[in-house]
Amino acid sequence: MSDFIIETSRLTKKFGSRKVVDHVDLKVKKGEIYGFLGPNGAGKTTTIRMLLGLARPTKGSIQIFGKDIRKEKLAILKKVGSLVEYPSYYGHLSAYENLEAVRILLDVPKSRIDEVLSIVRLTNDAKRPVKGFSLGMKQRLGIATALLGNPELLILDEPTNGLDPSGIIEIRELIKSMPKEHGITIVVSSHLLSEIDQMATQVGIISKGRMIFQDSISTLRAQSTSKIKLTVNDVESAWKTLLTHGYTTDLSQNNLFIENGSDEKVAEIVKSLVQNDYSIYRVEEERKSLEEIFLELTGKEGGL
Amino acid sequence: MMRVMASEFIKIRRKMILFLVFLGPIGVIGLEAVNFGIRYDWLTGVYKDDLWRGLIGEVAMLSIPTILIGLTILTSMIANIEHQTNAWKQLLALPISKTKVFTGKFLLSVLLLFLSCLLLASGTVLLGLLLKFGTNIPFLYLFKMCFFPCLASLPFIAVQTWLAITIKNQAIPLTLGIIGAIVSMYSMNFPDWVPLKWPLLLNDWDKPIYSVLAGLVTGILLYFMSLIDFNRRDVK
Ligand SMILES: Nc1ncnc2c1ncn2[C@@H]1O[C@H](COP(=O)(O)OP(=O)(O)OP(=O)(O)O)[C@@H](O)[C@H]1O
Ligand SMILES: [Mg+2]
Repeated sequence: MSDFIIETSRLTKKFGSRKVVDHVDLKVKKGEIYGFLGPNGAGKTTTIRMLLGLARPTKGSIQIFGKDIRKEKLAILKKVGSLVEYPSYYGHLSAYENLEAVRILLDVPKSRIDEVLSIVRLTNDAKRPVKGFSLGMKQRLGIATALLGNPELLILDEPTNGLDPSGIIEIRELIKSMPKEHGITIVVSSHLLSEIDQMATQVGIISKGRMIFQDSISTLRAQSTSKIKLTVNDVESAWKTLLTHGYTTDLSQNNLFIENGSDEKVAEIVKSLVQNDYSIYRVEEERKSLEEIFLELTGKEGGL
Repeated sequence: MMRVMASEFIKIRRKMILFLVFLGPIGVIGLEAVNFGIRYDWLTGVYKDDLWRGLIGEVAMLSIPTILIGLTILTSMIANIEHQTNAWKQLLALPISKTKVFTGKFLLSVLLLFLSCLLLASGTVLLGLLLKFGTNIPFLYLFKMCFFPCLASLPFIAVQTWLAITIKNQAIPLTLGIIGAIVSMYSMNFPDWVPLKWPLLLNDWDKPIYSVLAGLVTGILLYFMSLIDFNRRDVK
């Protein structure tokens, strides 16, 4: 058995002839918070649906807890809690009754309802019909439902969607506390890198159905190579002059950029500009933000 | 399976579903009360040989379209509990087989319909006593006439459950079910193999049990076919 909690192999889903998920090898280790990142329509929800056995893969395999989902779906689902897209609930029932309807199916003790209600801080609203809940409360009820069966793996699809900043922080803190306090492994999807950045330990980036990056968040950060920005008078002629001296720079937004330049190379370029009588106003280092890396990575696949 | 049913019963709390279960038989008995109230002399004349059988026959006639329309609305409301907030994805991501989930919905409809039939039988007795038809009640006939149409309608419960669950837009199963109920009212001259005729319990052999058996066998067959289809489908 491998040490992965989730391991997919060439997971593919087609709708008609369109590949919405294309040869995805998702790998999630125990105790991680795995951030599943991708722009709208990238295939996150579709992948998650397949992980939960809600949709059948067109091709490829899924192993969760080392078990094949096709053969041992119920044994796997017993240890998985999930929240897919917007929360599901029965509006005419109270929060307590909603949880009771699920609890009976999971066959866990009644006391578990009060426990999860207090984890998501809904104890005081437990007796009200859920249709009167705010979106944030419904989302929290969804998380409570996901936690009901003491899952070892929690799969949350955009759990902070539609929440206000304080709601987002609250859910984020909740998610971050889970692996520490309960040893739960978490997969959380989002289309916002900043979201994932603040809670995930591992990141998988999906774009147009393809996994284009999968590693630790620190590896992703290391990709944020810097470039040197030069602000000079008469950029165009400066760019040409540098070219005739054998230095390639990028000209954009009235600035010259040196990509991956070593210290010596930067010094040579500056020297060459000075010798050719250009006025250098600024020499700055620009680091790419994670957001830019994300856009660049997903952009390579054809833009958002 | 008991747990699935217990969960289903929690989910129909505070819905109009139970109200409907009572409304059907009360409506039928109410209409018959009016019927016998207005035409008392004439009807007791027609049925003077056996007043109870006369009453039960009248009730059964009216109950058939009520059962068909009732089961259409019932199956739709039960499925709609999950459709409303897309709860299918939550329900089916639980460690419960899709077979049990589908069977739960199907069984819930059957049970509630039986409850209606039971109420209908009790209501008929009550009405007969109020009409002073005596206490010589033909119970066997009463139960036959109250439950046979329901049993013969099993194929419709299966089909309507399947339609209501697989199609999100409930206008479609509702329309189809109501058309079915109307057509079945005019089906006495249809050939015996047409399922819409079975709830009327009419056939060339004059044996209502044949209609019931045909309904049961076909109903179970259709249940299995719907189940296979439901298992195969991706969850919306
Ligand atoms: N049942 C379906 N039939 C046809 N196409 C579908 C179906 N479900 C999803 N799609 C398509 O698959 C693509 C991926 O959808 P998916 O919901 O997985 O994206 P996502 O990454 O979750 O996006 P978002 O961030 O918007 O939630 C979309 O283009 C969508 O239109
Ligand atoms: Mg999505």
